[in-house]
Amino acid sequence: MKGIPVVFFLLLIGEGSGVIHWLENHLLSCPFKKLTGIDCPGCGLQRSFVALLKGDVWMSFKFYPATLPILALFIFTILHLKFDFKNGAFLIKLMYIFATAIIVTSYIYKIYHHQLF
Amino acid sequence: MSEEQEGQVPNHQPNQENSQQPQNPQNQQWQQNPQGYQNFNQPNPNNPYPPYGGGFGGMQMALPNATIVLVLGILSIVTCCCFYGLIGLVLGIVALILSRKDKQNYLANMSYYTVSSYKNLNAGRVCAIIGLILSAIALLFCILFAIFFGFSALNDQEALKEILREMQ
Repeated sequence: MKGIPVVFFLLLIGEGSGVIHWLENHLLSCPFKKLTGIDCPGCGLQRSFVALLKGDVWMSFKFYPATLPILALFIFTILHLKFDFKNGAFLIKLMYIFATAIIVTSYIYKIYHHQLF
Repeated sequence: MSEEQEGQVPNHQPNQENSQQPQNPQNQQWQQNPQGYQNFNQPNPNNPYPPYGGGFGGMQMALPNATIVLVLGILSIVTCCCFYGLIGLVLGIVALILSRKDKQNYLANMSYYTVSSYKNLNAGRVCAIIGLILSAIALLFCILFAIFFGFSALNDQEALKEILREMQ
């Protein structure tokens, strides 16, 4: 189990463009988007993540603003479960509410500006 | 320490007092404990059980479902929009049920479980509730959508676009 992140990291360094290219062409398609053609509140997360892997933070933010907070939340949760910080649970709650607020706000913004299709 | 022990001190020699000390607190520890769990944070030489895990200085366990509830609660927001919000709904409900059981467990006997795991459990509960509400809204939205525009619109992109265009 410990080796998995290390292997992933090595792959990313040694053959970074290859992995990113593979990811770009194997994105999971959203069933809601497939059926209706309308973006769901989670659409853009994978594109945004790939952009982040390329190192393009601004593009990542434009695709899906909540990617960085969600990633930070995941990493912090794993660290908290491992090392048991003093105010960890409270911080997780705060970050979660923050990420949720960003998701909802960005979706409302999308609806308002007719970027759903 | 109780009043009995203080009363005994002047009557006995120091050597005898030391020899009696380990026998007394073992029973009182569980029966009268005004501070609850906090008492166990200090290392206790009379601990009847061997230290557990080394986390808090003895015998406290983490709540069994705390970690799972936290992870499920966080995942429920990420998956809240997949498949009409059904996945987020299921994850949130499972997390809430698990956390309810554990919360009853903790409140029944606080001294067995660590405080940090209880905090984790509560954080997971809050996350699960938020995720549940959001995915419920997503599901409701989908149902309303289907009622207003019909399932054909939900399954046909072009028809839907035309309906929306007419609305504007």
